[in-house]
Amino acid sequence: MFRETAIKEIEAIREQYPTARAALLPAIYVAQREFGWLSPEAYESVSSVLGVPRATVRGVATFYAMYKHRPMGRHLVQLCTNVSCMILGAEKLVDFLKNRYGLEAGGMSSDGRFSLVIMECIGACGTAPAMLVNNDFYENLTEKYIEEILEKYR
Amino acid sequence: MITVTINGKEIKLEKAVTVLEAARSAGIKIPTLCWHEQLEKYGGCRLCLVEVEKMPRLQTACTLMVADGMIIRTETDTIAEVRRGVLEFLLINHPLDCPYCDKAGECELQDLVEKYGLTKGRFREQKRKVPEALEDPVLVRNMERCIVCTRCVRMCEGVQGASAISVINRGGHSHIEPFSGGRFDCEYCGNCVSVCPVGAIMSRLHRHSYRPWQLGSETKTVCPYCGVGCTVVVQVRDDIIKRVVPKLGTVVNNGLLCSRGRFGYEFVGNKERLTTPLIRKNGLLEPSTWEEAIRLIASRLSEIKDKHGSNAIAGIASPRCTNEDNYVFQKFMRVAVGTNNIDSTARTGFAGAQGFIENIFGQGATGNIISGLANSDAVFVIGGDPTTINPILGLQIRACSRRGGNILTVGHMKGLRYYTPLELRPSVNTEIALLEGIVSALMKKKGPPGSHPVLEARLKDLNAQEADLPRICGIQGKDFSRFIDTLAEAATPSFVIGKDMIQSKGGSYGLFLVSAINYIVNGRIYLLSERANEQGLLDMGCAPDLFPGYRPITYPEFRKRYENAWKTGLPDKPGLTIFEMMEAAKAGALKCIYVMGENPVFNLPHTKDVEAGLKNLSFLVVQDIFLTETAKMADVVLPALSWAEKDGTFTNMERRIQLVKKAVHREGMEDWKILSEISSNMGVRMNYSDAEEIFGEICRVSPLHRDLNYEEIEKGDAIYPYKGEPLRGSTDEIHIEKSAGREERGKLYLRVERPLFHSGTLSRKAPALVNICPEAVARISPATAAALSLKDGDIVRASSKTGALELPVAVDEAIDDSAVMLSNNFQGKGAFSLMEYEIDPVTKAPCLDSNQIILEKVNR
Repeated sequence: MFRETAIKEIEAIREQYPTARAALLPAIYVAQREFGWLSPEAYESVSSVLGVPRATVRGVATFYAMYKHRPMGRHLVQLCTNVSCMILGAEKLVDFLKNRYGLEAGGMSSDGRFSLVIMECIGACGTAPAMLVNNDFYENLTEKYIEEILEKYR
Repeated sequence: MITVTINGKEIKLEKAVTVLEAARSAGIKIPTLCWHEQLEKYGGCRLCLVEVEKMPRLQTACTLMVADGMIIRTETDTIAEVRRGVLEFLLINHPLDCPYCDKAGECELQDLVEKYGLTKGRFREQKRKVPEALEDPVLVRNMERCIVCTRCVRMCEGVQGASAISVINRGGHSHIEPFSGGRFDCEYCGNCVSVCPVGAIMSRLHRHSYRPWQLGSETKTVCPYCGVGCTVVVQVRDDIIKRVVPKLGTVVNNGLLCSRGRFGYEFVGNKERLTTPLIRKNGLLEPSTWEEAIRLIASRLSEIKDKHGSNAIAGIASPRCTNEDNYVFQKFMRVAVGTNNIDSTARTGFAGAQGFIENIFGQGATGNIISGLANSDAVFVIGGDPTTINPILGLQIRACSRRGGNILTVGHMKGLRYYTPLELRPSVNTEIALLEGIVSALMKKKGPPGSHPVLEARLKDLNAQEADLPRICGIQGKDFSRFIDTLAEAATPSFVIGKDMIQSKGGSYGLFLVSAINYIVNGRIYLLSERANEQGLLDMGCAPDLFPGYRPITYPEFRKRYENAWKTGLPDKPGLTIFEMMEAAKAGALKCIYVMGENPVFNLPHTKDVEAGLKNLSFLVVQDIFLTETAKMADVVLPALSWAEKDGTFTNMERRIQLVKKAVHREGMEDWKILSEISSNMGVRMNYSDAEEIFGEICRVSPLHRDLNYEEIEKGDAIYPYKGEPLRGSTDEIHIEKSAGREERGKLYLRVERPLFHSGTLSRKAPALVNICPEAVARISPATAAALSLKDGDIVRASSKTGALELPVAVDEAIDDSAVMLSNNFQGKGAFSLMEYEIDPVTKAPCLDSNQIILEKVNR
């Protein structure tokens, strides 16, 4: 179940919408943040705070691809492998992430620090290869540079 | 008046309906898959597309409302082409496994494909593969067959109100799943199965055991479980019940069923059924012939009668047997045996509560139409969760909430939690104080209505102070005010009363207070009933003080009438209630009890005492379909026919008399037949040829059933008093016994759980229900669990003054902190074995609310 602060947060969200159902999407984001991913417990917690049946909560959440439907690392690495990035060596970077951090596309590092998602173009073709870590943007990537960047995320 | 033309046929309509409804009313069929008459419109499957002149594109008939002058065509080449296209899309991922799909033959998709002649699909891609989900004990999901019409989801959410399933994922990956993804863990009503147009959600009970076209017979009858009396259709092949389904358009349940009704039928064909009479010889029950058993019973009864008098014999009737069985039972006891010692388990609450309320408001006060609940603007619920006790009645309360009505509950009702109830949850044993507070507050707000001086006189001294409620009951002032305001403003309130209310100390006073609230706000009362013919049994005179039709036996004129009808003298003293019987048996005054279709050793509180009483008898006869706990103690056991094997009538809690019909054949005798054989052997001839003849006699002697017959019942609406007047008006005197249980904070009290999936001991013999809910658990609140350091599944020893049981605990947020909930269904694990009782002097019902219980963890 949620911490008291998360319950308060969801109750505040609820106030902004005409029905409990309408408040589901932002409430699910809170649950995702609290539990790290949308576990059954996360759904049940949203259900009990909003009073929306748990199956409905799950049905709504699974419609959207960008929620975390699996356990995810603390930080999300999104690396582009589209044309420009590929030409400039993004695939080698994918291998590097795998060898150095045990990170596979769609998977999670064993220490739970990172998850990797392969992206299709994040609009940085001029400065490829590029990636996002959480909401931070990085370009002109090399293996060494990636190592430096990821050091910042514990 | 709206006039539309469909396929050249002019149709006149009173009000605006959908094109689909207009076409149906004129007998024009438009194909549909997502539309269902019980569900909200959806417009998803696109099969009902029709042409409407002056509208540019094809329109969905299920969502388009008719307008005056519309010209509609439902079958043209264009439409057929489009429908073929829709079907082609639906079949992209459909496995076409019709040869072994149970739905084949009654599959709506199959029928449509056959009709529109689709033979070839153009899609060459691989079909979506989803393994069949077999995790659930009674429901199987095959999501390859699913066409995502969402009928099941809309049924679950919008009608059943369980919201257990939903559409998962998106686009081509969409399918239906319960929350867990595997087991449904829902209310198991199976109404999703009813509405599924294909074979995507199906019952496992009859999986791959027949094809729909191989069904031998279909019999419309009444469900054997609770007092709602749902119409069911029993489908049979080779004298085995294959399926029980509801029927659309029936008055009581209109196409809906609950778990017990739909999945609980397997007891009929259970191998443990009794097949031959058993007689105790040298301490063991041994098979015998009918002749021997009947002769023995007749001679032993006559012997006891001669030696100890008629009143040394008593009879226990059955709320699971038909009116005809019960009528013959009481006639047998009164005429052949000569005693009024007749009672039943209806005495544990229903009988006394109904008598009490009728005494105030007149006969039939509790017999209100169940579907009317949905039209109330407020429903007040007390004494038990109606969604588990009488599930179909519970649905009407949910429907009331959906239509904007307010749900008011005293205590927490888990099944209504998504229906925003205004809930007052008084602390343990303070319900009476709360009710007094409600009456006082309402009297202040609305004033006395002035039409019932006797009742109002009783209210004069009542002056509970609202300010005291937080201290006494732990109720917050603002919650209380909202509750009172809502109740006072309601124009058509209903009151639903469960057994917990009746079975608490001061139960009659509590009933009086609820009656007073009902009187002040001018409402209707519904009394929950746990057995199919609890009402009918009382109508038939299976009570120590009443003849059939509620004629009191102490009135000489009435007695005379029955003496004339039955051509014999009748005893004039009221007999023993079921609890008095047990006392008398223990004391040795009672020598023999004849039990028909009841299991008193398990179904009466203080099991040990009952057992001691029955052991003390010199002769115990049990007539049942299974070797119950009571039957095991009997001197003679007689095998009876079950509900599905005989004709007769049940009377439901609305007092609607309905036909029970024979669906399967089985060797043996009906209960009434066995009794009349014994009676004849005792020299009192009873020559009934069938149940209908008995019903004829009932209608001659019972003033409530006058002029009724099976044909009239078949037409429906046989609600009594049939073309007659109520017999008992309201009274000049209201007896109440003021008392209330004492609260001891920090102690745990045992409460009877009335589970959704079980009913008495009968449901134990229905494997599907046992699979859904396999064992007894002690339910406790999270606070209790924390205080005793218990977690889900821990084994505890639950002990009370009268005994102890070992069983697992379940932590449940719905339970009060002072309560331990335990059902009374599982062998050797019944709540009643841990309970003592006192009898309420007015309702004669047992008060069960002061049984303290101690839980200790058992380390294994």
